[in-house]
Amino acid sequence: MTDQHHIASAFDRDLEAVQASLMKMGGLVEDNIRQAAVALKTRDLEMADAVRRADADIDALEETINMDCARILALRQPAASDLRTVLTVMKVAANLERIGDYAKNIAKRTAVLAQLQPIEGASGAVKRMAKEVRHMLSDALDAYIRRDAALANEVRHRDLEVDQMYNALFREFLTFMMEDPRNITACMHLHFIAKNIERAGDHVTSVADQVVYLATGELPEEDRPKGNSVAYDPDAFKESDE
Amino acid sequence: MKDNMEGRKLVDQMDVKFQTRDVQVYYGDTHAIKDVNVDILDKTVTAFIGPSGCGKSTFLRSLNRMNDTIPIARVEGKILLDGEDIYDPKVDPVQLRAKVGMVFQKPNPFPKSIYDNIAYGPRIHGLARNKAELDDIVEHSLRRGALWDEVKDRLQEPGTGLSGGQQQRLCIARAVATEPEVLLMDEPCSALDPIATAQVEELIDELKQNFSVVIVTHSMQQAARVSQKTAFFHLGNLVEYGDTDQIFTNPVDPRTESYITGRIG
Repeated sequence: MTDQHHIASAFDRDLEAVQASLMKMGGLVEDNIRQAAVALKTRDLEMADAVRRADADIDALEETINMDCARILALRQPAASDLRTVLTVMKVAANLERIGDYAKNIAKRTAVLAQLQPIEGASGAVKRMAKEVRHMLSDALDAYIRRDAALANEVRHRDLEVDQMYNALFREFLTFMMEDPRNITACMHLHFIAKNIERAGDHVTSVADQVVYLATGELPEEDRPKGNSVAYDPDAFKESDE
Repeated sequence: MKDNMEGRKLVDQMDVKFQTRDVQVYYGDTHAIKDVNVDILDKTVTAFIGPSGCGKSTFLRSLNRMNDTIPIARVEGKILLDGEDIYDPKVDPVQLRAKVGMVFQKPNPFPKSIYDNIAYGPRIHGLARNKAELDDIVEHSLRRGALWDEVKDRLQEPGTGLSGGQQQRLCIARAVATEPEVLLMDEPCSALDPIATAQVEELIDELKQNFSVVIVTHSMQQAARVSQKTAFFHLGNLVEYGDTDQIFTNPVDPRTESYITGRIG
């Protein structure tokens, strides 16, 4: 990214405006992840409701961003780093919108979970997982602003931790359900929540991929490490005979 | 994406038409082109882009020795067409220009009939033995110029009576009538409206099946649309030369980036 200005200053203003919208969207999504996790832990239905309402703002911002990007493409025919900026903004906005949906889904399930017997330690673990994803997102957006491919790559690798946290929770919920079938409803919801956060982590990784593309012109090639999901390991839950 | 990669490979394997080595062009004391080394491929559209005065037209004109007509212009270095030095004293510039045709910014049909505009070159170069052969050349060239259907019933009318876009296609047809190997175009669309521009661009795309086309253009969108290779000139230097899609998505040199993104360079 060069620091020079476009000869057409309106082009600069358009690009800055759409990127400011994206950062605003990113901020709202970060808030929503945090609040969804807090609402889950504290069984705060009002806060959960606020998360659901805020998601509408996130969706509206995505629509605005897409329209602004379409306008820039049509009117300015951006090239090189300008083109990569517009493409990245559109993709990152789509990722953020999905992450927002996951936060909203957590808030929805919170309303159900609040009616059920709490599962010991589960919401704390979910909250830690959400915190990790939120920090990854925050770093990915910082990497975007600074066009910092190294930081973006670091974020990509941190998704492994989230995958591992999800796998640990998966085992834990399974154990709770086997111990006492009355836990099944709550654990199923908690499992979906954990899965939502794990998916949100994947979307953050995709944001980081886009930042690498924006900064270097090429998508990262090497495969990032992935935590093998225990859910797909046929040997992971064999009843032991001992 | 895969098709693209394969297409690129094919381009790389194609023959080199023009090879230039350390080319310098001077106008008197002004050093207009500095150390230009470039391989221009056959059956490929190559675009020269760059700000006004960067030397792109000067370099284009040195490829068929049009600069010979400017007394103070001096060309140094080697320009090889199919491996032969075009500035060798044995080379006849008129024969060279039959092989390396040129189309200019403003359509410049001769003040003759449409038919004679096309037939002029083949006549002086003796390409037709009789009227029937000449008729064939005229029809074939006008078809290649994507103009035949529009003018076939009025070949004896003056070429200057055509619309601007038609006149430019007439000039392109005239240039291809002598069966050149390379077609140089110096901003062929800058005097045309968008429809005529699109028609000429479509024509350029067809011409690349048979010719090596080199086009100088101020429209970066046009360079991106019609060319497979792009060369960016700045202050007489060839700054960057590469595949068009690379130049327009991920240029290497910051000067290229500044120019194509419309920043002050």
